[in-house]
Amino acid sequence: MSAKKEFNVKWGMAIDLDKCTGCGACMVACQAENNLAPVADASNKLRVMNWLVVFELSNNKEFPDHEVAYLPRPCQQCAEQPCATVCPVVATERNEEGGIVSQIYPRCIGCRYCMAACPYHARYFNWFDPVWPKGMEKALTPDVSVRPRGVVEKCTFCHHRYMMAKDKLRAQGKNIFVKGEKRGTKHSAIAEGDYVTSCAEACPNGAIVFGDLNNPAHRVYQLTHDNPNAFRLLERLGTDTAVYYISSREWVRRLGDNYLKDEITQKPEKILPKKH
Amino acid sequence: MVLDRRGFMKFVAGAGLGVMATPIPWKLLDDAAIWTQNWSWIPRNVKGETSYTYAVSKMCPSCVPMKVRMVGGRPVRVLPVDGHPLGGGVSSIAVAEVQMMFSPGRVKRPLYRAADGAFRELSWAEAVTLLQQKLQAAGSSTAFISGDENGSTNDVLSAFARALGAGDIFLMPSEAQCAARAAELMGIPAQLGYDLENSDYVLAIGANLLESWGPVIRNRRIFRDGRPVAGKKELPARLNIAYAGAVQNNTAAVARPWLPVYPGTEGILALGIANMLIAKGCSFDSPDFSEFKLLAAKYNPEVTAKETGVDLKKLEAVVKALMAAKAPLVIVGSEFSQGSGAAPVMAGFALNALLGNINKSGGVCLLPRAEAGIDGASARDEIFKNDLTAWIADRKTPQALVLHEANPAYALPGPQAVAAFLKAVPFKVSFSTYMDETAALCDLVLPIGMGLERIDDVNTPYGCGKTVYCISAVAADPRADVHNTANVILHVAKEMGKDLGFEYYEDLLKTKAVRYEKCDFAVLAAGQAAVSEARVEFSGFTARADVLAKALSPKTRGNKLGLAPYAKLNLGTAKTGIPPYNTKTLRGTELDGKDMYVMMNAKTARKKGLSDGDMVVLDSGKQQIRARLRVFEGVMMDTVAVCLGYGHTALDEFSQNKGANVMELMVAVPEPQTGLNVWSGTGVTVSKA
Repeated sequence: MSAKKEFNVKWGMAIDLDKCTGCGACMVACQAENNLAPVADASNKLRVMNWLVVFELSNNKEFPDHEVAYLPRPCQQCAEQPCATVCPVVATERNEEGGIVSQIYPRCIGCRYCMAACPYHARYFNWFDPVWPKGMEKALTPDVSVRPRGVVEKCTFCHHRYMMAKDKLRAQGKNIFVKGEKRGTKHSAIAEGDYVTSCAEACPNGAIVFGDLNNPAHRVYQLTHDNPNAFRLLERLGTDTAVYYISSREWVRRLGDNYLKDEITQKPEKILPKKH
Repeated sequence: MVLDRRGFMKFVAGAGLGVMATPIPWKLLDDAAIWTQNWSWIPRNVKGETSYTYAVSKMCPSCVPMKVRMVGGRPVRVLPVDGHPLGGGVSSIAVAEVQMMFSPGRVKRPLYRAADGAFRELSWAEAVTLLQQKLQAAGSSTAFISGDENGSTNDVLSAFARALGAGDIFLMPSEAQCAARAAELMGIPAQLGYDLENSDYVLAIGANLLESWGPVIRNRRIFRDGRPVAGKKELPARLNIAYAGAVQNNTAAVARPWLPVYPGTEGILALGIANMLIAKGCSFDSPDFSEFKLLAAKYNPEVTAKETGVDLKKLEAVVKALMAAKAPLVIVGSEFSQGSGAAPVMAGFALNALLGNINKSGGVCLLPRAEAGIDGASARDEIFKNDLTAWIADRKTPQALVLHEANPAYALPGPQAVAAFLKAVPFKVSFSTYMDETAALCDLVLPIGMGLERIDDVNTPYGCGKTVYCISAVAADPRADVHNTANVILHVAKEMGKDLGFEYYEDLLKTKAVRYEKCDFAVLAAGQAAVSEARVEFSGFTARADVLAKALSPKTRGNKLGLAPYAKLNLGTAKTGIPPYNTKTLRGTELDGKDMYVMMNAKTARKKGLSDGDMVVLDSGKQQIRARLRVFEGVMMDTVAVCLGYGHTALDEFSQNKGANVMELMVAVPEPQTGLNVWSGTGVTVSKA
């Protein structure tokens, strides 16, 4: 993998799986915001374009001990990106303050190496040109370009909203960054809540919290630091993702990674077998 | 100078190097990359200045307040409105409401059915003249069905009905109707409200609180604020939700705990809990308390467990939590927001009375009933007294039928029988945004604007804990040749010499805003809600043990499985069908091509000799539907769970040919003593196809 780039600002999410009811409002909000075309038959999930998918989780127990939970899965915005390493044309990279993994469509040659590399299946290939029912293209947002067939797409943490929040600061004559509490650090001057993703904004349950994972003043920092209930998907792959999940339920946390039988999730390293 | 071979090679190499040193090849590559993705058939973004307008969703049953982002005057996004009493996020229907303005299923201009049976276009002037002639001829034999229970269009329809001498005016069945009937039977002159905002423990029995019961987005905002995020230290929840129902639905997914019960036994469970509370010393002041106590005593824990299938240990824990809560609240409803009758709501009210929370903070509140804004019009509760399914079953066919945003041919139990009834009506007109199943059967279809395209109002949706009145202003230019239903009816009434006192609907809303809500119309139209804390004084009630004894008597299921329909907002409503942007939200375990999935647990499936993925037939005795079986352990024993919203035959490609309509299986039967029909206790056989 390429050398990990550290940034002062690391935009990230904390998704509370004890609050998500799986309603799908985040998925629809994502499509409308990012100009994803609707499809009449979305049964073939390998051909359907979705930047955000809500998965159903089960504790796999029989009735009446069964429990269910829902897991929204955007791009995990890895700091160590398996996708960027394999891209032959540098169409995806993480080189901007904020730590968002970009996807540059005009560069993408559609080889789909990144899809094969992504352990989260968060990348989608445009098998077909996007088609809207007649007239519906008038409701496209002006912020996200429409992608043709033949390129790979993924969630960008609504990067255009980040740019707009920065533009707003610039227009007000303000700096983009402010000094952090720790010496030598700096934080984004964007106030918490001034830049949120479309999914986080839409969620009526407040299950998705968005902010700067490096800023102690941000709620997302407080929810994810020193929280034994917070976890990341396939954390031990070392991808260092920016999407945290939170659940008080052990069985939910276990589904986040490939745990050994006698491991518990909260501090797995402490009980790993000696000859691991 | 002679150009020899060596010189030529030097020149070519130099030229090559020279060109490579210029930006030309890189620019060409860049252009090639851009232009090979820049085809004329790929839509372009259209820039423009951003502005915002406000509206309230008339499509989503939860009446979501919406902040609409406009770009160069075009609406492009629906965003949530913070601080609104009905807001706090956006529902999966409302969030793509802008896109639904361009849905292929829209009715774009007035249509009439020609002699050959096909629809033909006509002008609005011709349509209104035709409508006027037909209604004039039908006179008092005109009936009205409205699918919008929260809007003042009903005032216009009911005032017009009264002017015609017609008494047949109906609202589509809903939880609100069951509650209104319950309140009436118990002698409570108020709309039942639920102060979720201040409750600390909510037991929802059947009421799918976080997906389809009441103003869902407001419910979910309260849940959001009430449940802390799991952290290093366990923080006490400000609000706990327990859920009892047959399906581990969206509410059950986050409820603590989920109490699985047989479908249609919600009222019995409430009586069983009442018995446990009475045993712990709870009581209420009612002339028939002793009769109620005797009735509840019949449902001792063992009988309750047998009839409902509830786990007694879990139930006892819930009762203990209810007793320990500072502001406990019990909400009884239907998992699919209809058809459960008045008795379960009455039993639920009695439970709340036992907990002493009537008109108390965090309890059941008695809200002033919504008044009509036109002299001679019927108030909402008056219209609720008429039961639509019973009227259709009586087959007293009117000469004319006026439908406003209603799709009974899809949404009522036994849609085929409803369609047959509709066909027998000589003239029927549908005011509809979409060409739904009912509109497709009508003689005249008149396009009306979506909520974003018209002015309308929302008056205290059922479930609110306060009186809330909102105006939904016109947020976007109509995308079809539309008129407001109320405006058309006001005009037709005037032409028929039955002036209803208003020329335009907006005038009525202005009068209503001032007359009843004491608030400024312009402020409301700008997106603010008028909220009133006024409550009707609680001066006692009658528990109506006589009604409960008959209406909630246990039913034998025999060999049939309980049918547990459940509702999900992402499948849209009967009026909208599946919104185009929502097809992707359907999981592969819900819909596969044309096949929808029904669910039962593994033990039930084994008992029936079925396995995961089997194509099965569900048979109610009168109708059958086919579906694939999904073994899902979140379903009660001996129960098959079926989602509403599939099986559309009209509308558009996003809704058609997807699964089957579970309403086909429903059988409406009279609920003893209440005057309503119920269809929540339907049983079915399930066999391999």
